[in-house]
Amino acid sequence: MSRLERATVFVSKPMVRNLWNWVVIIFFLAFVITPTLFVLTYAFTNWGLIQTDVIQNPEIMSQIWTAIANSFEIAAIVTLIDILVGLPMAWILVRKKFRGKELLDTLIDMPLAVPTAALGFSAAIFWGMTPADLTNPLGLKIVSSPFILIILLHIVFSYPYMVRSLSAILEQIDQTFETAGQTLGASKLTAVRTITLPLFRAGLVTGIILCFARSLSETGGTVAALATIGNTDFNTAPTLIDSLQSQPALAFTSIVLIILALALLVVVAIVVKKVHIPFRKVWPRPEKILSRGLAPRFKDATSVLFLVFIVLIPSFFVFTFVFTSSPSTVTNWSEFGQSLLNSFLIAGVVTVIDLALGIPLALYIAKNRSKWLPETLDILVNIPLIVPTVALGFSLKLFWTGGTPVSGPMAIFLVMLAHIAFTYPLMVRNVTGAVEEIDPTYEETARTLGAKPIQGFRRVLFPMIKASILAGAIMAFTRSLGETGATRAISTTVLTAPNFIVNLVKVDKDYYTAALACIILIIISFALMLSLRYLIKRRKGVS
Amino acid sequence: MEVQNGEYLCLLGPTGAGKTTLLRIISGLTKQDKGDVLFEGQLMNKIEPEDRRAVMLSQSYALFPQLTVAENILFGPDIREYDKDVKERTLADMLDLVRLTNRPDAYPSELSGGMMQRTALARALASGASVLLLDEPLRALDARLRISLRHELRSLAKSMGITTIHVTHDQDEALVMADRIAIIREGKVVQVGTPSDVFDNPASPFVANFVGQSNFFVGVVEEKAESTFVRGDSGHAVLARPCERRLGERVVVGIKVGNTEVHKEGEGYFDGTVERILFEGRNIYLDMDVPGLGRFSSKIPSWRLGRLAVGDKVNIKWSADKATVFAMPPGGLDKELRVE
Repeated sequence: MSRLERATVFVSKPMVRNLWNWVVIIFFLAFVITPTLFVLTYAFTNWGLIQTDVIQNPEIMSQIWTAIANSFEIAAIVTLIDILVGLPMAWILVRKKFRGKELLDTLIDMPLAVPTAALGFSAAIFWGMTPADLTNPLGLKIVSSPFILIILLHIVFSYPYMVRSLSAILEQIDQTFETAGQTLGASKLTAVRTITLPLFRAGLVTGIILCFARSLSETGGTVAALATIGNTDFNTAPTLIDSLQSQPALAFTSIVLIILALALLVVVAIVVKKVHIPFRKVWPRPEKILSRGLAPRFKDATSVLFLVFIVLIPSFFVFTFVFTSSPSTVTNWSEFGQSLLNSFLIAGVVTVIDLALGIPLALYIAKNRSKWLPETLDILVNIPLIVPTVALGFSLKLFWTGGTPVSGPMAIFLVMLAHIAFTYPLMVRNVTGAVEEIDPTYEETARTLGAKPIQGFRRVLFPMIKASILAGAIMAFTRSLGETGATRAISTTVLTAPNFIVNLVKVDKDYYTAALACIILIIISFALMLSLRYLIKRRKGVS
Repeated sequence: MEVQNGEYLCLLGPTGAGKTTLLRIISGLTKQDKGDVLFEGQLMNKIEPEDRRAVMLSQSYALFPQLTVAENILFGPDIREYDKDVKERTLADMLDLVRLTNRPDAYPSELSGGMMQRTALARALASGASVLLLDEPLRALDARLRISLRHELRSLAKSMGITTIHVTHDQDEALVMADRIAIIREGKVVQVGTPSDVFDNPASPFVANFVGQSNFFVGVVEEKAESTFVRGDSGHAVLARPCERRLGERVVVGIKVGNTEVHKEGEGYFDGTVERILFEGRNIYLDMDVPGLGRFSSKIPSWRLGRLAVGDKVNIKWSADKATVFAMPPGGLDKELRVE
């Protein structure tokens, strides 16, 4: 027997498979879940400190509550807008056939490739009333309220998540249900509303959770945007955590944020699953009128305009800035180069670990439904997604170091662990979803044909879920590349590209270099994403 | 239950009877709660599916969509790492066997239902398995193709000498194809026998009705001689085959609709009124109402179509050796006959 064969036989032993499952589960619990939630124990071990330093200090308390309220209000408004404009866009992407659909499809994902710190700066100089030292002739200068600016910013990067979640579900929904409804006399709108929309629930839950969590957790973009318009007093919960110095206050804010976020996850899941949102009642005449003529075209046009003016232009507005402002003299390029290198190193390592340990967990969950352990893991996996990354970063640092400041390679290592914690669920979710789609008969048939489980996975299941694995990897990579909050919670001086940009805007006020750095980061991430897309396409073409 | 090497066995039963579960237990994909699976006298309970050499062909065929016909067929040989020339020969043989020689590079999505079915079969046969497990293999095909493929499927399996277990809920399919039929109901094997055995000597009223529809007559055994004399509650009396039942015992007499004779002249066991006539092509199917006994049905040759009309009075009888006597089922006749 060759070495490979022996390895195949070895890993196919039921005992080895069991053991491997346990390794993966323990990794998940020890490196992802526990560090994420560790800060909660702070409330028990250091309640005295929290009481004296935070609760009895009305100034800090009011700061914290205002920031948290801001965060939740912004997240709720952003999610609502995303649903309203995301649904028609998902429809266009899945059901319509037209020239340029490929392009539209790529455009939707573009904001995902841009690190949020760059987005925050870009959107702020597009919309915002900027202070005197930041001259920008092309900017609209119409938004002075930080609240509205942050909403506009958060829509930009949460919108793709909503559209993607909804279109993923829409693609699976059998159109014959709708057709059946229409042949039974329902107008198109009625059929869609009463038949297709209720089938959306799963996608809607995913979309809402992703958008809400993204908005709640966003740090880099918000810090950059607020600094750009010269704001000093408005805070969201993550920016507050970013600026707070006292450990008890940090811990308290993180704890409150985590608990509220988790409570929200539960509420959303229950509400959307139990409550029948699209009503059964039917209004045949108005719905018929809305199904034809100008109304649908108006809806489609609005969706596209929204994408262009609210999402895309603000994302890339930073490109105009370098042409209209005077070059900076103090640009430190070697530091920027180093920060880019660090960012890619971190994102690369994180993605590889997510792949190696995320796929097995996803397989375990997807194939053992209806048992308590996989079901529990399936719920636990969502936690790092919903916990704001800045709180996650703080919690993780507290877990591994006890909260002492870190720097150098140790800081980079901790940043990697933090990035694994919130990207790991992306991989697991993606792959779990894909595996559950696939009829288990394929793998079973492969086994009766003589394939060992690992061979069945490699030859049968893997080719079918390849696209989802790659999608998970891209998501994990770009999320890590663009992450600011968790990184800054570990150390504000750690040199990653987004952190470099935030510091340029916030501390050095070197807007020109910040813009240049944004552009370079955008171009690199974008090239990366396009090449990955191309890779997926080409593989699909071959097989 | 035992299956002989090279035998073609059909598992026949209504939906939800546990046919597919039994198949999955044999293949090792589902672990049984109790009992043993033995191949050639060897205990298989702890053997993984890939080592049992029992290949499953599912209803949906499960052709791997990313592989061509040839790659699908060679899946088994590839996994088992056969030599290149062995693989080539196997592929050529299989393509020839299932008449797909001109489509080896097609993807499953480009094939018709029949071709997909044949590809899946070729893939199963090429894997070198000694047991072929077919889960409703003809279900997804249209009616005409389904009937023409019955013979083909059986002769392929037979020519390969492979032991085949074929799950179906279609009694005609089972009768035509099987060496032996095992009737399954609610997870239990009710009867195993050759098609004619199962058809002519059903073990229970359920089997009598499920394999070729039957009429039933409930009564008490009054006399046992060359044939059994059974008298019903309504006073009617009928004849049936000799049986083991005691005198005075309450029994059910079952008689296939095809053996139920209907005449306008002469004497029958009882009279009925024709309620409905269905033309089925070669046969016509009659429903008759018999006062005190309910509905009786009969299948008679089509040439008699013009001679009978709805509302006609007819007499009903059968020859004693075509009727089977059953003990009264414990839950009553209605429960016994219920299909789901």
